Amino acid sequence: MMNSMIIGKYVPGNSVIHRMDPRAKLLIIFMYVFIVFLANNSVTYAVLTVFTFGFLALSRIPLSFVIRGLKPIIWIIVFTFLLHVLMTKEGDVLYQIGSFSIYEGGVKQGIFISLRFLLLIIITTLLTLTTTPIEVTDGVEILLAPLKKMRVPVHELALMMSISLRFIPTLMEETEKIMKAQTARGVDFTGGRFSERMKAIVSLLVPLFISSFKRAEELATAMEARGYRGGEGRTKFRQLVWKWTDTAFLAAVLLLAVVLFVLRS
Amino acid sequence: MNIRTIVVNGILAAVYIAVTMLIQPFGFTNVQFRVSEMLNHLVVFHKKYFFGIVLGVFFANLFFSPMMAYDLVFGVGQSVIALLITIFSMRYVKNVWARMAVNTLVFTFTMFLIAWELKLAFDLPFFFTWLTTAVGEFVVMAVGAPIMYAVNRRAHLDKLMET
Repeated sequence: MMNSMIIGKYVPGNSVIHRMDPRAKLLIIFMYVFIVFLANNSVTYAVLTVFTFGFLALSRIPLSFVIRGLKPIIWIIVFTFLLHVLMTKEGDVLYQIGSFSIYEGGVKQGIFISLRFLLLIIITTLLTLTTTPIEVTDGVEILLAPLKKMRVPVHELALMMSISLRFIPTLMEETEKIMKAQTARGVDFTGGRFSERMKAIVSLLVPLFISSFKRAEELATAMEARGYRGGEGRTKFRQLVWKWTDTAFLAAVLLLAVVLFVLRS
Repeated sequence: MNIRTIVVNGILAAVYIAVTMLIQPFGFTNVQFRVSEMLNHLVVFHKKYFFGIVLGVFFANLFFSPMMAYDLVFGVGQSVIALLITIFSMRYVKNVWARMAVNTLVFTFTMFLIAWELKLAFDLPFFFTWLTTAVGEFVVMAVGAPIMYAVNRRAHLDKLMET
């Protein structure tokens, strides 16, 4: 658990992808999520795979980091693959055991869907691997700005996000401390009967809530005392700069969409 | 929005993430046991906890979910819809236990959105996925109700937003 003290999975670096504007990265991801569905045959999937691995290569993130991110989801990929292999009944029969047969279409479908899964995960993990949470928050705030017209409190939400990011490591540490303190008093967090586990969670949550809300109280008082007023006229310490490379990457993704649209069957 | 609401909700989102990270291996798969989902019950004590819960879900999906982009839309969407339904029902339901029961049922039912997400993205069978995801959500929220009740008795969550 301790290695997750670094929020997200940011890997410091200075690659083209690292230096990209977070707004561009967020836009690319949301475009990619739709583009992935354009692929529906071997050629389009091949193009998509080459493109995705191209991005990965540009980020200079070692493949092992991405593979580590796949671990928690490997079973759902295997499950999805098997499901499609067993349920799809198209094309020639490849293999037959009694009344049970595996079709060519099923294997193909299984491979395609698993590949879609894999490519999506690679692209989205690439965002968290190359962008600091603070940059993501800044990007989200600017991208959500048009919602201000619909009276969505965008600035307040962004402030909430920054406070939250600031306190995640503190609260993680706090949680660890409480767990150790309660373990020393005989609480078992790792095993025991169901009811015992529930009691263990209560013994963790109550102090965690009380101490976190005490912090919130203190912070709110401090901000009020200093006369904090957000929104209008406030300048920013970190400025996001849109570069020509950002435009180029966006254009590349659009081009990918066009290519896939032409090549799909 | 006053400063207290902003700060309390910001820190609440951090609590959600801290709890999600503690039990990370159980979430994000077919049967989801995300223990932090029991924090959804906070909304029955005060509707202003809405922001903190939604932000917690947003961050947890952004930083830890392998299917981030879909979960951001569907996961956050599900939380927003379910919480709004619960908040609306709170006009008519006053008893805390009854509110928690409503909240649990609403969240369990709206898991169909997550099932729909998995159906769209990976062509998983809709009803089977709904069942597995709903079971995970129901167990966590049913078990979470007495826990959050106990937390409220000592931390006075309902008063915190008022002062």
